[in-house]
Amino acid sequence: MNRAVFAGLLLSSALSANPAGTAEFFESKVRPVLATQCYSCHTGSKMGGLRVDSRDALLTGGKSGAAIEPGAPEKSLLLAVVEGRHDRLKMPPQSTLPPEQVAALRDWVSAGAPWPEAQVAPKAASKDAVITPEHRAFWSFQKVRKPDLPAVQDESFARTPVDRFILARLDQEGLKPVRAADRRTLIRRMSFDLLGLPPTPEEVQAFVNDSAPDAVDRLVERLLASRHYGERWGRHWLDLARYSDGRIGAAVDTPYENAFRYRDWVIQAFNRDMPYDKFVKAQIAADFFPESEREAMLAGLGFQTVGPNPDDRVDVTTRVFLGLTVGCAQCHNHKFDPIPTQDYYSLLGVFKSSRDEQHPLAAEAEVAAYKKAKEEVAAKEEILKDWIIRQSEELALMLTRQTARYLEAAWRVQAGQADAAHAAESAKLDRETLERWLAYLSDRDKEYDYMDAWFAMIDRAGGPTNAKIDDVRREAQRIETLAIEFFTEKKEIDDRNYVKLGGAKGVKDEKTRQYANLDFLEPKKFYFWRDLTTEPYRKDGFNHEGGIYSYGPKTIARWLPAMWLQHLEESRAEIDRLKKEMPPAYPFYHVLKDTEKPADIPVSIRGDAKTPGEMAPRRFLRVLCDGDPPKFEKGSGRWELAGSIASADNPLTARVIANRVWQWHFGEGIVRSPSNFGQLGERPTHPELLDYLAWRLVESGWSIKTLHREILRSSTYQLSAAQDAANVAKDPGNRLLWRASPRLRLDAEALRDSILMVAGTLDSTIGGPSEAFSEKFRRRTVYAKVGRTKPEPTLTLFDFPDPNTSTEQRTLTVGPMQRLYFLNSTFVAEQSAALAKRLIGAASEEAARIRLAYNLLFGRDPDQDELALGVEFVASGERQWPQYTQALLSSAEFSSVP
Amino acid sequence: MTRREMLRQSGCGFGMLALADMLHAAERTNPLAPKKPHFEPKAKHVIFLYLNGGLSQVDSFDPKPELTRRHGEPMPGPKIKTDRASGNLMRSPFGFKRYGQSGIEVSDIFPKIGEAIDDFCVIRSMWTDNGNHGPSMLKMNTGHQLAGRPSLGSWLTYGLGTENQNLPGFVVLCPGYPVMGSPLWSSGFLPSAYQGTHIHNSEQDPEKLLQNIRNQTLSAPEQERQLSLIDRLNRKYVNRLGSQPELEASIQAMEVAYRMQAEAPEAFDIRQESEETRARYGDSDFGRGCLTARRLVERGVRMVQVYFGNFQPWDSHDDIMSHARLARQADPAIASLLADLKANGLFDETLILIGSEFGRTPMIQNSGLEKLGNGRDHNVHGFSVLLSGAGIKGGTTYGATDDFGFKAVENRVHVHDLHATMLHLMGLDHTRLTYRYSGRDFRLTDVHGELLRPILA
Repeated sequence: MNRAVFAGLLLSSALSANPAGTAEFFESKVRPVLATQCYSCHTGSKMGGLRVDSRDALLTGGKSGAAIEPGAPEKSLLLAVVEGRHDRLKMPPQSTLPPEQVAALRDWVSAGAPWPEAQVAPKAASKDAVITPEHRAFWSFQKVRKPDLPAVQDESFARTPVDRFILARLDQEGLKPVRAADRRTLIRRMSFDLLGLPPTPEEVQAFVNDSAPDAVDRLVERLLASRHYGERWGRHWLDLARYSDGRIGAAVDTPYENAFRYRDWVIQAFNRDMPYDKFVKAQIAADFFPESEREAMLAGLGFQTVGPNPDDRVDVTTRVFLGLTVGCAQCHNHKFDPIPTQDYYSLLGVFKSSRDEQHPLAAEAEVAAYKKAKEEVAAKEEILKDWIIRQSEELALMLTRQTARYLEAAWRVQAGQADAAHAAESAKLDRETLERWLAYLSDRDKEYDYMDAWFAMIDRAGGPTNAKIDDVRREAQRIETLAIEFFTEKKEIDDRNYVKLGGAKGVKDEKTRQYANLDFLEPKKFYFWRDLTTEPYRKDGFNHEGGIYSYGPKTIARWLPAMWLQHLEESRAEIDRLKKEMPPAYPFYHVLKDTEKPADIPVSIRGDAKTPGEMAPRRFLRVLCDGDPPKFEKGSGRWELAGSIASADNPLTARVIANRVWQWHFGEGIVRSPSNFGQLGERPTHPELLDYLAWRLVESGWSIKTLHREILRSSTYQLSAAQDAANVAKDPGNRLLWRASPRLRLDAEALRDSILMVAGTLDSTIGGPSEAFSEKFRRRTVYAKVGRTKPEPTLTLFDFPDPNTSTEQRTLTVGPMQRLYFLNSTFVAEQSAALAKRLIGAASEEAARIRLAYNLLFGRDPDQDELALGVEFVASGERQWPQYTQALLSSAEFSSVP
Repeated sequence: MTRREMLRQSGCGFGMLALADMLHAAERTNPLAPKKPHFEPKAKHVIFLYLNGGLSQVDSFDPKPELTRRHGEPMPGPKIKTDRASGNLMRSPFGFKRYGQSGIEVSDIFPKIGEAIDDFCVIRSMWTDNGNHGPSMLKMNTGHQLAGRPSLGSWLTYGLGTENQNLPGFVVLCPGYPVMGSPLWSSGFLPSAYQGTHIHNSEQDPEKLLQNIRNQTLSAPEQERQLSLIDRLNRKYVNRLGSQPELEASIQAMEVAYRMQAEAPEAFDIRQESEETRARYGDSDFGRGCLTARRLVERGVRMVQVYFGNFQPWDSHDDIMSHARLARQADPAIASLLADLKANGLFDETLILIGSEFGRTPMIQNSGLEKLGNGRDHNVHGFSVLLSGAGIKGGTTYGATDDFGFKAVENRVHVHDLHATMLHLMGLDHTRLTYRYSGRDFRLTDVHGELLRPILA
C-alpha cells in the first residue's frame, strides 16, 4: 500500500464517527459533484489558478486564496461561491448547484474535508500517467444508463421520449417550442435528410392528402426502406472514414481501383441496418469474423486500408468510434484526457502487428492465372527491352565511329554544296542522323567547350562556304576522337557501376541503386556524351530529347538487319498476343491480416522511434477498463480491440454514434465536438437525451434505423422553422431546439443530385466502380471518383471535405464563387435546358409548366405573383425557358431546406 | 475576451452560446469580410514565391569558401543522415559576388536579385524535419507534415479576411500541380471559404483560368434580366420564411458574383500589361505568375502563392547546373516583381517570401538513381529563404550554416518560427490565431514558433 493511500485511510477512519467524514460519503456525494461541476475548468487547465482535484490543491487554492478551510464552511471560499454569498465570484458560472449538492459540500467541509485517497495529481509528462478516480468520473466515461423520462408542462407536445428531454430543458429555460411544420415542409425535409433528394410532386401530394394518424410513421418507414437511404447516410460515414479512391499519403494520386468496394459496403450496411457493433467490428477486424459471416464483412477493412500509416489508423479508429483523441498521446501523455502515452503504443502495437493485403474475389485458379500471365508479359517485355538497349548501344558506337564523316557532310550542307539528302547519299551516311547533326550545329550554346574549335574554324574562314576542307577534316577527326574516347570511358564507368551494384539484379533494384556510391563521367564529358548518345530522359524538371545517335524502341527498326528485325517484330507480336489473351485483373478487397509474429512495441519517447522507452503491452485503453486491461492474446489483438470498442459496456461507443446520428439530422450534435468526447470537447446540451438514445441503440440491437425512428417521429424534429422573438432573445442559436434550424444550403452531393433529379437526368444506378466526374457523369455524386491531391473543384466549391483527414462535420459556406457556378457553369446550363425540355414536354400551357416546375423543385404550387412573374419571363418564346429554369434552380428556395 | 476564450467558455454553459453562434453565423455569411488584426500590422499582403523541389543554398545565397577549398574531400565530422547515397564535398559551379550597400554575396545565377539584395533579408539557418518533398512541403505550407491542416494562406484569410470581395482572398498559381497538390492550400478544418483558389496559370486567357467566370450563351441584358428574376423570387422566399441572416448573405453573394464576372477576368489578364513589362518578367510560367501576383495584390488579394512549376522543377539530384537554367527564369521574374512593387508603393505593405521545402546537400549525390553525378540530395538540416517587403530589415542576413553549408548552426530557424514571424508582420499573434476543432484549439504553429525579432525593420 502506498503511503498516500495509507494516510488517507487513517484520516477517514479517524473521522468515521461523522458520516460526512467517511470515504463512502466522499465517493458518493462529494467527489461526483466536484467531478461533474468543477473539473472541466479546475483540473489541468487551472482556471483562476485553482485545481479542485486534491485536498492539497483545495487548501492551496487559486488567485483568490484557499478554497476550503477544513471544519469551517462559513470561511470556505468554495462554499461562498456555490452558495452565492461571494460578492464577485459565482460558481458554476452558468448554473446553480442543486441544494442537496451544496449541502453535501458543506457537510464534507464541516467534517474536516477528508480526501480518502490522497492521490498524487498526475504529472503531464510523467513516465507512466496515473488514472485517477477524478479522471474516471468524467461524464463521458460513465456507463450509459437509461434515464428516467422527465416530467414536462405540455404533454401534448411530448409525443416521444426525445420530446420529453427537449421540452424539459425548454421548460427549464422558459422557452416554448414553435408550431409544427406543415406537411409539405416536412416531407421535403425528411426526403433530403434521409435520401439527399427532394420528394416527387406525387409523393408530396400523397402525403399531404394522407389523413391517417400514422401518416408520418409510414413516411418514415418508406424513406428508411429506400435503397437511396444508404447512399445518403453512407456518405456521412465516408466523411469520417476519409474515404477516397486514392491511397492516402501518396505524393501524387495513386489509383486505388478497389477502394469503391468499401464505399459500397458502407452503403449496403446502412441500407440493411447492419447492427452498429458489427459495423464497427468489421472496420477493425473483419478478418476475425466467423467464417460464415467473414466474406460479407471483409470489405469493411477498407476503413483502415485507405491509409497505410499505423499512426493514422490509431488516430482515426479512436476518434471515429470512441470520440477520443488518442493520437494526442503519441509524444506525451495526453494533456487533458487520461490517455497515457503507453496506451497509444498499446494500440499502435496492434496496428503494427497487422499488414495490408488483397483478398481476391475470384477463384484461386483465376487469380493464379492472372498473376502468371502478368508475370509472363512483364518478363518478355523486360527481355525485349534489354535486347533493344543492346542494339541501340551497338548502333550508337558504330555511328560514333562515323562522326568525322557526319561532320564533314554537315559542313557541305552548310556550305551550300549539297542538300542533306544528297550529302548523306554521296557520303553513304544516314540522312536523319545528318539532319540531327545539322540541328545540333545550328545552336552554338553548349555546356562544354569541345565544339569551340570547330565553330572558331568556321568563323575564321568567314563562314562555312569559305572553310577549307583540310581544316574541316582535321576538326572533324578531333571531335570524333573525343567522342570515341568519352564513349569508351562512359562504358568503363558503367561496367564498374554494374559490379558495384551487384550485377543485373542490383541495377534494376531501386533500393540498391538509391544507396550505392557510384562513379560518373565528368559533367562536361557527360553533356557531350549526352548530346551525342543518350536515350531520351527527364531529370530535374528538364526533358532531354535524346542524342544525335540515339535510336530507341520507336526508331531502331529501320537500322536492324533482316533477321534482327524479324526477331523484333515477332517478339512484339507475341507480347501483344499475350496481353490480349491476358485475363482481366481480378477484383479484390483491401484487407488487413495479422503479421507472422504479432508483437508489442516500445513507447517512443517524445514520439521519436530512435529513443524507445518501456514496452507497451497490446491491450485496450486503461481509462475505459476497470483495473488493468487484460493483454490482447489473439494474434495482433485487433479482434479484441474491436470487441472492446463495439461493446455495450463501453461508455463511449454508443454515445458517440448516437450523437453523430443526431448531428446528421439536426446539423449540430448534442455534443458539438462529435469526434472529441474528452475534457476539451464540448459538454452535451442534453446529457440525458444522449444517454437515452445510446441506451435505446444498444437495446434495439444496435439498430441505426431505430435511432432514426426515435428522432423522426418526435414533435421536436417536426417543428417548423418559424421565428419567435421571445425565444430568439434567450437562445438565438436555437441550441435548445425550440424550432427547426433551417438548412441554409444543400451539401455538395444533395445539391448536384437534386438538380439532376428535377431535370429528369439522374441515373440512379446503385454501386459499382467510381466514375470520373466528367461532363457525362449523371450518377449520384457519391459514385464520383474522390481524388486526394486533385479534388474535384465543383465539389470543393460546395464544401466537400478534404479526404486526407477524418471529417466530423462539414463546414458550410455561401459565397459568390458558388453563385457563379449557378449562373455560368456548363452543368447548370445543361440541366436547366433539360428541365425546360421536361416542362415543355409535360404541358402545353405556360401556367401549367410553371406549376409543374414549382412542384418538382419546391414541392408546392406557385402563388399568383410567382406565376405572373414566370409567365412574363417566358413570354417572348421558348428560348426563355432554360433561362427561367436556371433562375429557379439558382434560387435560394431550391437549395435550402426549412 | 478573445474569440478563443469565448468559444471555449461556450462549451461550459448556456448564456455564452448566443454570441458564439452569432460569430459562427458571421463566418458563414461573409467569411472573407475584412477583420481587425490583433495589432497594427506591418504588411497587408503576402506573396509567397515557391521554388518547388528544393533550392540549393550553397549555389544561391549561402556561399561557402571552405566548400570550394575542400572540394572532392569527404565531409568532415560525424556522418549526418541524408536521404540517398551522397559522396564527397562538391563546390558550387557558380561564382558569388558581393552586391549593394550590404555587400551580401549572391550567386552568379541570380544577378538581378543580387542587384536588389539590399531589399532582402537572407535567412541562412532554416531547418525542417522531413527529407521527403511531400511532408516537407506540407510543413512549409501548413505547419504540419501530414495532410489535413489549414495552410498559411487559409489562416491569413481566416484571421484577416480580404480587401477585395470580388476576388478570392488566397490565390495559388501553379502551371499544373506541385507534389502533394491541394492539401498544400487546403483550409483543412477551417471553413472552405479560406481555401486557396488554385489557378493553372499555364493558360493566359482569363476565361480559361477562372472557373465559371463568363456565361457562354447569355448576353449581358439576358443575364441581368435573369438575375432580377432570381432576386425577386429570393426576396419573396425570405419574406415568407422570416429573417434568416444566412439566407440574406447567400442572396447578396449573387450580387457579388455578378460584379466578379467583370472584375476578376481583368485582374488575371496579364495581356493588358505592356510588351515591355511582360518581357521584363520573362517568357515563362513563373514570370507570368509573378506578374499576375502583382496584379492581384494591387487589387487587394490577401495572399498569392506562385509555384515555380509543375511537380518539382528545383529538385536537382542529377545535375546542379539545372539550377542555372531555372534561375534564368526565376531571377528576372522576382527582381521585376520587386521593382514594380516598389514603383507602385505596394512594397511597403507586402511581405514577400521566396523559398522551398528544404535545401540541398553540399555533398555530391552519387546514387544509382542519377544519370550524372553532379547533383545534390535533399537537405533538411540547413537551407536558405529570402524575405522582403513590409516590416523586413533589408540588406541583412540572419543565422548561419556550418563551414560547408550543410547544417544550420547559428540562430537556427525552424519553419514554425518563419510562420510565427510572417503572421506577426500581418498583425497576428501566432499563439492567438486559433480555431477550435474537435475540442481542441489549433494553430498554424502548433505549440511551437519563435518570433524572429532581429530581422524585423
